[in-house]
Amino acid sequence: MSAQAIATAGLRDGYRRGALRRTAALAAALAGLALLLLLDLATGPSGMTLAETWSALRQGPSGEDRMAATILWHLRMPQSLMGLLVGAALGLAGLQMQTILDNPLASPFTLGFSASAGFGAALAIMFGAALPLARFVPEFVIVPAAAFAMTLLATAIVYGVARLRGATPEILVLSGIAVLFFFQSLQSLLQFLASPEVLQQIVFWLFGSLLKATWTSIAVVGVILAACLPFLVRDVWKLTALRLGEGNAASLGLAVDSLRRRSFLIVALLTAGAVSFVGTIGFIGLVAPHVARAAVGEDHRFALPLSACAGAVILIGASVFGKLISPGAVIPVGIITAVAGIPMLFAVIARRGGGRRR
Amino acid sequence: MRKLITLALAILALTSTAPAFAGITVTDLKGREVTLEKPAERVLLGFYYEDFLAVAGPGAMGKVAALSTGPWRDWRPKQYEAYVAAIPSIAELPDVGETSGGTFSVEAAIAAKPDLAILAAWQFDALGDQVAVLERAGIPVVVVDYNAQTLEKHLQSTRVLGAVMGAGQRAERLAAAYEAAIADTLARVAEAGVSGRKVYVELAKNGPSEVGNSYGNGMWGGVIDMVGGTNIAKGQIENWGPLSPEYVLAQRPDVILLAGSEWVSSPQAVLVGFGADEALANERAGAYLGRAGWADLPAAQMGEVHALYHGGTRTMSDYVYVQYLAKILYPEAFGDIDPAAELAAYYEAWLPVAAEGVFMLRYQPVTQ
Repeated sequence: MSAQAIATAGLRDGYRRGALRRTAALAAALAGLALLLLLDLATGPSGMTLAETWSALRQGPSGEDRMAATILWHLRMPQSLMGLLVGAALGLAGLQMQTILDNPLASPFTLGFSASAGFGAALAIMFGAALPLARFVPEFVIVPAAAFAMTLLATAIVYGVARLRGATPEILVLSGIAVLFFFQSLQSLLQFLASPEVLQQIVFWLFGSLLKATWTSIAVVGVILAACLPFLVRDVWKLTALRLGEGNAASLGLAVDSLRRRSFLIVALLTAGAVSFVGTIGFIGLVAPHVARAAVGEDHRFALPLSACAGAVILIGASVFGKLISPGAVIPVGIITAVAGIPMLFAVIARRGGGRRR
Repeated sequence: MRKLITLALAILALTSTAPAFAGITVTDLKGREVTLEKPAERVLLGFYYEDFLAVAGPGAMGKVAALSTGPWRDWRPKQYEAYVAAIPSIAELPDVGETSGGTFSVEAAIAAKPDLAILAAWQFDALGDQVAVLERAGIPVVVVDYNAQTLEKHLQSTRVLGAVMGAGQRAERLAAAYEAAIADTLARVAEAGVSGRKVYVELAKNGPSEVGNSYGNGMWGGVIDMVGGTNIAKGQIENWGPLSPEYVLAQRPDVILLAGSEWVSSPQAVLVGFGADEALANERAGAYLGRAGWADLPAAQMGEVHALYHGGTRTMSDYVYVQYLAKILYPEAFGDIDPAAELAAYYEAWLPVAAEGVFMLRYQPVTQ
């Protein structure tokens, strides 16, 4: 065997070992998520025991203990599943955003999506009832629809600029910042004009809360997530290649600009779907990608699912934590996500320590 | 040395040129001492419009120079309409903006040339050091506070209003009537033995799909405490905020109070108050029983789901809601009390408009 062949075999072995290690990390993360999900379903102010929760879970939505079935299937389950979907969507969107902008500080909200969603929601909360369709469409449909529509408008603006001037990170960030401040000022104006009761509603929406999760909203977010996945799978290698840097990726024959634009649209959809129903839950889209990269490195075949997993873990962890510290009064989960995510962030920083460069 | 200082102080006191007129001096609800030369003729009225009218009596609106209109016209639109119909000049009064929206204009307030500003405690707090600007412009500021929802502050606020408006006797009569009604209610409650039944209050503004605020202390929380009910929000919520739906189910409340108002622009709100329609209010309240698990709650089973007028708290007529809740908790002890009739009588006796609308209602299932 030539030295060349031995070296190749060594590399191949190394690659296999790395892939195994990453698969194991992903499996461990999924197992942890499943456990946390069960814990979330078993936590709540009514003091159902684990055994009662388990039997209510087995008996389904029309179990014989109506109270337990109602609590589990109509109150806890929608919130848990919504937390799962929203956390995953924000984790996915966050990693893509950091990849296409080549910036560790980027998050799904960097390009003004949260500000635009917030403005849409505030607009609907203030004036939604005055719309002629309000008689046929209840408020819980109008607010998310408006938030979603405004996010798509913000997307269209940034996308238009990127089409005209090229989708470099600088162009995306600059136009994104312009959009962010534009919608933020519009929203401030609405808050300035709102009566105290309405103002409180707007502020609560901005905090982000899983309280409004229903089976309908879960279905919508689930469909959006499912629709984005095939596109993500298709681009997974290209995103990994983009991490080599713009020049290297282009020299490998990657159409960098169109990849960025495509990913940007997916991020927009995922983010709009995630925030429209539950409000702007920050921190997740920023931290989950770092957790994923710390665990499995830059290979997006592993980093994307792990980032989704980490996002869901942070959000559901926050939900459990919130229910434990305040059983009766609802603390908006968006306030707690940072608290739940910070230990993870420190773990990432600790791993990155020792002066090693990115 | 100390003697010297005392002496010096005494001399100072004797020679100081304090104005000494026999004016009106009141201690307002912020503990501030305010002195007026004579009863106010041009008032800047911030809030508590009904209580001001009840105390100052017929023609009181003629002594108002400007309003903070928002809290009346925007928060209680139908009530505002009813008063404008009775006293058209209200619609003509200059609006100085509102503190909660940050639109209160001190300049507009001064331009209205009032000789007294009557503000709610929360408005006084929101204005902060701008109050000093008003005072520097020669406009004394008196603070009243019915929001605290305590007997003592209700009575003191009423007496302060009476003193500055030169309607002391009328204020005294009103305060005495209120105190007697509350005392009678509490005596009956004490005799019946504290009920301790669980009560859940929710602000029914956005329909059943959204969890509205409940009240821990103050507002409705204060009313529940007064009559010996157990407020399930107490200890969970400091002032106001939403309770977890699961917590509400787990607590199994015996009584559910849906606080409604005149939110004409909220398509699913429980609409009660002036000009409200009983059938509609009943239907909107019934929608709340469609929430997950609500039909099985004791309150729903026993027919103890009620709609109450949210604008009814923090006023001198709120004793009727105290009676109403007490009657729910102790039906036998309050058999001879009709809170709705009491409210009508209050308006008849003290205010220029009639209480026309729905102010309290027990939900009745509609049989098809």
